Amino acid sequence: MLSIKNLHASVDEKDIIRGLNLEVKPGEVHAIMGPNGAGKSTLGYVLSGREGYEVSQGEARFNGKDLMEMEVEERAREGMFLAFQYPVEIPGVSNMEFMKESVNAIREQRGEETLTAAEFLKKAKEACKQVQLPLDFLKRGVNEGFSGGEKKRNEIMQMILLEPSLCILDESDSGLDVDALQVVADGVNSQRDGKRSFIVVTHYQRLLDYIKPDFVHILAEGQIVKSGDASLALEVEKSGYAFLGKKYEGETA
Amino acid sequence: MSEQIEQALSRKYEAGFYSEIEAETFENGLDESVIRRLSEMKNEPEWMLEWRLKAYRAWLEMEEPEWAHVNYPKIDFQAISYYSAPKSMKDKPKSLDEVDPELLRTYEKLGIPLHEQEMLAGVAVDAVFDSVSVVTTYREKLEEAGVIFCPISEALHRFPELVKKYIGSVVPRTDNYYAALNCAVFTDGSFVYIPKGVRCPMELSTYFRINEQNTGQFERTLIVADEGSHVSYLEGCTAPQRDENQLHAAVVELVAMDNATIKYSTVQNWYPGDEEGKGGIYNFVTKRGICHTNAKISWTQVETGSAVTWKYPSCVLKGDNSVGEFYSVALTRGMQQADTGTKMIHMGKNTRSTIISKGISAGKSNNAYRGLVKMGPKADGARNFTQCDSLLIGDKCGAHTFPYIESRNPSAIVEHEATTSKVSDDQMFLCQQRGLDPEKAVSMIVNGFCKEVFKELPMEFAVEAGKLLEISLEGSVG
Amino acid sequence: MSQWLAKVIDVAQENQDFLAPVRQQAISKLQQAGWPSQRAEQWRFTPLAPVKDRTFNQTQTDENVSVPEIAGLDSIDIIFTNGVLTTSLADLALPEGLRIVSFAQANAQQQADIKTMFGRVKPEAHVFGQVNDALSQHGVMIDVADNANISPVVRLINLTSADSDNHTRTLVKLGHNAKAKVMELGQGEHDSMNTAVAEYAIGDNASLEHYRFAFYTANAKAVGGSHFKLGEAAKLNSTVVGYGSQLSRLDIDIWHAAENAFAKLNAIYLLAEGELFDLHTCIEHAKPHGTSEENARGIIGDGARAVFNGRIHIHRDAQKTLAEMNNRNLLLSRRALVNTKPELEIYADDVKCAHGATVAEIEGNELFYLLSRGISRQRAMVMLNFGFIQELVNDIPSKAVASWLQPKLTERFAQMEVK
Repeated sequence: MLSIKNLHASVDEKDIIRGLNLEVKPGEVHAIMGPNGAGKSTLGYVLSGREGYEVSQGEARFNGKDLMEMEVEERAREGMFLAFQYPVEIPGVSNMEFMKESVNAIREQRGEETLTAAEFLKKAKEACKQVQLPLDFLKRGVNEGFSGGEKKRNEIMQMILLEPSLCILDESDSGLDVDALQVVADGVNSQRDGKRSFIVVTHYQRLLDYIKPDFVHILAEGQIVKSGDASLALEVEKSGYAFLGKKYEGETA
Repeated sequence: MSEQIEQALSRKYEAGFYSEIEAETFENGLDESVIRRLSEMKNEPEWMLEWRLKAYRAWLEMEEPEWAHVNYPKIDFQAISYYSAPKSMKDKPKSLDEVDPELLRTYEKLGIPLHEQEMLAGVAVDAVFDSVSVVTTYREKLEEAGVIFCPISEALHRFPELVKKYIGSVVPRTDNYYAALNCAVFTDGSFVYIPKGVRCPMELSTYFRINEQNTGQFERTLIVADEGSHVSYLEGCTAPQRDENQLHAAVVELVAMDNATIKYSTVQNWYPGDEEGKGGIYNFVTKRGICHTNAKISWTQVETGSAVTWKYPSCVLKGDNSVGEFYSVALTRGMQQADTGTKMIHMGKNTRSTIISKGISAGKSNNAYRGLVKMGPKADGARNFTQCDSLLIGDKCGAHTFPYIESRNPSAIVEHEATTSKVSDDQMFLCQQRGLDPEKAVSMIVNGFCKEVFKELPMEFAVEAGKLLEISLEGSVG
Repeated sequence: MSQWLAKVIDVAQENQDFLAPVRQQAISKLQQAGWPSQRAEQWRFTPLAPVKDRTFNQTQTDENVSVPEIAGLDSIDIIFTNGVLTTSLADLALPEGLRIVSFAQANAQQQADIKTMFGRVKPEAHVFGQVNDALSQHGVMIDVADNANISPVVRLINLTSADSDNHTRTLVKLGHNAKAKVMELGQGEHDSMNTAVAEYAIGDNASLEHYRFAFYTANAKAVGGSHFKLGEAAKLNSTVVGYGSQLSRLDIDIWHAAENAFAKLNAIYLLAEGELFDLHTCIEHAKPHGTSEENARGIIGDGARAVFNGRIHIHRDAQKTLAEMNNRNLLLSRRALVNTKPELEIYADDVKCAHGATVAEIEGNELFYLLSRGISRQRAMVMLNFGFIQELVNDIPSKAVASWLQPKLTERFAQMEVK
């Protein structure tokens, strides 16, 4: 599904990703952990095609297609979803409107019928309930005045509606209390159907108590320095990132 | 990113075609004889001619206003023709069947079918083509309700007392340079009278089309809503794409008697000129309404066209408890310049006004809000709330806010807020990450920005306005 | 033409000091433009009739002037009386890094310095700025050396006796990393006229604490200005207080001429019967990453008129600017009048700008609550109204200045009639 080979990427001419390799197959959940500044968020942005993130070397293929040749929206329509660490506010544009546009753009790409307003409303209401947001959030402006936790849940709601094939969750646990974390995790878990893949980017192990990964990768200085199964995350939690070198001593996970 | 946004905004003016219609057009130039001839053509009563001449003589003494934040070469008023009408209109067609089919086709092409069976249900249309009204639909149905909706030239004959009483009562002849010019040379426009207690059964609308070259359009609209009545009115306007500038100087007067409500919406889409600023309409318009006790006037405008816009729809809140509203979206691109806003003159007790202005500037355009809120000494308990938001797209445009506030009453409350923002890269990235192309993303963000204004438009026209903005934005939001 | 202006031009033409060439330009402009029309945007709400035909009078010094004392404030006082510098600069004990030179005593090098500063910060202004250009023979140049940190406040005290004219100029230069405090204080007697202008060039990383107190009342007339040019990362913290008079107008211009500069401007005006105060502020953001915060608040009493024109101009290059302006007004009577115009003119897209203006009265409930507790109406209004002025007083960086100002403002407000 996703195949990344020797990827190098920079922001403002500063190398952030330096030779990253990753293979994600359908249905797999990969957790990417790492200390601050390892390049975790950058990876999500590079894969989704954010402007300003330059790929200098290597390749990334999504369903066999060269990602670097595709626009941001083309990648999204191909089935890639990025849950933002800091969801953006768009005043005046309601969640409903926004997601209906988005869902239909993606359905068109897949050759499916676009949804009527009524059909969409029904789906949206279900998704809204699933992430335990009151229904009036559908009418409110996109993330406008939402609390941190509400924004994160709103991201998961969009993920549920868009039915992507690859979900990249960028620190979806940051700033959440245990209850909100449970809601986010339940939303994610409900979407695990054996085909859909996930890349869960997180600093802390605790999210992985809720979303069980098949693989755990440690990202440091732009490379995956260690890979393993779920037990690797627990190891990191116990002893922190000190094994990466002196400068990471005291940084817990 | 901003390049993408710019691209999404590149214009396509869909109403820019010219209709081959044989016209009778005055030779260019303006003097008293032109005004006499014009008045004679329309077979006007003597007092009307006198009124026009007084306005003309006053106009000669007046100076062109220069305070607006706009720049354009001096207008040569002798290089304009002050009257042009399709020849076929000379015989005054009695019904739609007698109207030149080419004229009807013009309106059809603009999306305004004039055959009643094809029209939007519940909307009556007065179609003004250059200097004359071509047809007014649903007249019988309206007359059953006692509503008068007809060309103002016709109203001068059928309801001279009404016209004489109210014309110039809200915008005096010498109010300003362009208003004075309009008084001297206005050709046609709509007249509306809603009798006491009547709720007008349909939306009324006038559609203005400039077709001929070198003609100015000087229309005049007068709406009188008698006590306790209610009317919603919309005007639309387009013109062919030409390299020369054309002048449009209209006057609109609204009278809302006690407990009456007038809702006046404008979707202005005059030809804006090309990317380099060549051609386009100079839109210099005076619009004002007077509110008597408990009356309400609500102006909503969506301004996307014209090379230069100079326009301040205003409310004189004379009666106690009267209400004035102004909702505006002004979008400028290319080399367009807009200086638009409103005046809210609070005279009566407990009068209230709301101003919501959304300015969007792109390209090399300049977009200014200019407004006046005035609280008179007797306006006890009056309130105004003003919100002016500007959205800048790209770094070659300008967005300006010039609010004048004057208060003479300690119990009056005025609140003014203004902000500026841009379409952020983050917003664009989010939309695109969710699968929307840049065009759609910009269009959606801009629509969201304008939402508070669009919701004020009558249902039938909200869609039209949204579409207009989309055509302007070259996107297609469903 | 105004009788006063004609005389100004005559007098100016007789003066021949080292600034004569600069003055001549101003004179020519005055001759060409003549007296401004009431319709001019600059004077739309501020009638100039009180000055137009008054008698120009350059009297000599007045011995009976009293200099306001501020308890607990360490200050260096420079006094101008009727347009004449009356402080003997040689007698001042100046801290290291501070140099004060009068125009009249400047040596050749100092004259050259003065020439390079004169009129370079003040924008191409209106008639009264030009009058000051033409007439300000008595002026001082204040030079703060690089890295100097001057702790006493330099006070520029402008006093005008009855029927007199007073046209002085101050040029202030702060070197790199310098820190200084300057207070401009003006008072005038019956039918006096003052056009004090101060120009400030604040160097890179330098920081200025500034005050301007326009204590003109009754028919003392004043039209003056403080104009600032900010270097890279320069900081300005300015507090302005205006009373009103027959004609009191103040122009504050702040020019962000380099990146990362910061300007804060707080203005207070309290106007009583028959008084007018006109505050024109203009903040020019010419370079990126600048910040400006402006708060102007006023209370307008019976028969008084306040004019506020606040302009923020963001130039094409000034990306990432943060600019906020807020103007709040309280009217105490239906014979009180306010004209406010907070303007924005923006040519850069990546900026955050906001302005707001309000005109309002005291919440009826609050007043009733106080009255019901037996507090007099007058006192209740003082308590309620003063809150929003108090916030700005609390924001004054110098404690001594704040505690000196506080009772003055309270007293003035107490005299204003609530109707």
